[in-house]
Amino acid sequence: MHEFSIACEIFEQVLATAKAHGATEVKSVTLQMGRLSHTNPEQLSFCFKAIAEDSIAENSDFLVEMLAPSLECECGYEGTVNEKQIRESDTLTSELLAYVAAIECPICGGQARIVGGRDLIIKSIEIETEEDQTTDSNNN
Amino acid sequence: MLMHVIHMGHDVYKANDKIAEKNRKKLDKHQVFSVNIMGAIGSGKTTLIEEAIRQLKDKYKIAVIAGDVIAEMDSSRFRKLEVPTIPVNTGKECHLDAKLVEKALGEIDLDNTELLLIENVGNLICPVDFKLGEHLRVVVVSVTEGDDIILKHPMIFKTAELAIINKIDIADAVNVDAEKMREDILSLNPNVPVILTSKHDWESLETWIDFIELGVKKAQKR
Repeated sequence: MHEFSIACEIFEQVLATAKAHGATEVKSVTLQMGRLSHTNPEQLSFCFKAIAEDSIAENSDFLVEMLAPSLECECGYEGTVNEKQIRESDTLTSELLAYVAAIECPICGGQARIVGGRDLIIKSIEIETEEDQTTDSNNN
Repeated sequence: MLMHVIHMGHDVYKANDKIAEKNRKKLDKHQVFSVNIMGAIGSGKTTLIEEAIRQLKDKYKIAVIAGDVIAEMDSSRFRKLEVPTIPVNTGKECHLDAKLVEKALGEIDLDNTELLLIENVGNLICPVDFKLGEHLRVVVVSVTEGDDIILKHPMIFKTAELAIINKIDIADAVNVDAEKMREDILSLNPNVPVILTSKHDWESLETWIDFIELGVKKAQKR
């Protein structure tokens, strides 16, 4: 269980960025989480909401986009794990095990190296500012 | 009121990875070989480290980082063997991270260290996501954890560079097939060396100790 400390780190980063852009409220936080990361999205969301109480992020939506693991093989193949194929498989019970077992190169059948899929990225935040607030070029 | 979307792209784990890289460079500069020993509570990590210290301390200068929720117990076991030991209390955290190791490295005389043994917190899940800057990632699993433990925790075995199946002398008593455990590890990570050990079988421990010594010798040639 390390979701709490990760949620603290996310909260600090989100708040610093929001304040630097003159936010009065954080409306949403969007994360990208690799499926091979050992972080539980529901627990992370719970922890974030607990930490964000009484802050400008108190009522923000906490959105998590899951990322498929990406692979590289010695034969030159680069790509992501075939998620559709995994969902159709009923022989493997654990979702995580399904991903790890699937990490063989679809071209040569060799063991492909995991190069992505353990990430945890704060992709973006949606904020509200006062009318006359000047912000950078990321305005919607 | 105006709405804005701010793109951040801040990778939470990369922040740890960057500190891990710094740790690695520091260790390389001092020609220190470092081993991150991971595994569940009760798998035998501390005992395997003690054996390595006993066999290698007259040949090499050893230091230990003992990570635990409360690290004092294991630290005192290592100190009895007269090696410098830094206890790292992780408090509520279930793993060591690069920052904690960076701080511990500051307390170690690296000019007088050739081998650094890092005992991670007993856990098969959380340590996987946190690189420390180590040269060798070891996972220790004991037969008492059941022979389905490996497939339940695939990532730690997938990313390990050495796997140890420990306490094999009591495999029959706990109705576990150690060979099945070996096969499961190899199905996840076909090229990883797997060692079967028991603290009552000196030869099995020798393989573990040889493996470390090989790393120390390589580090000294860098």
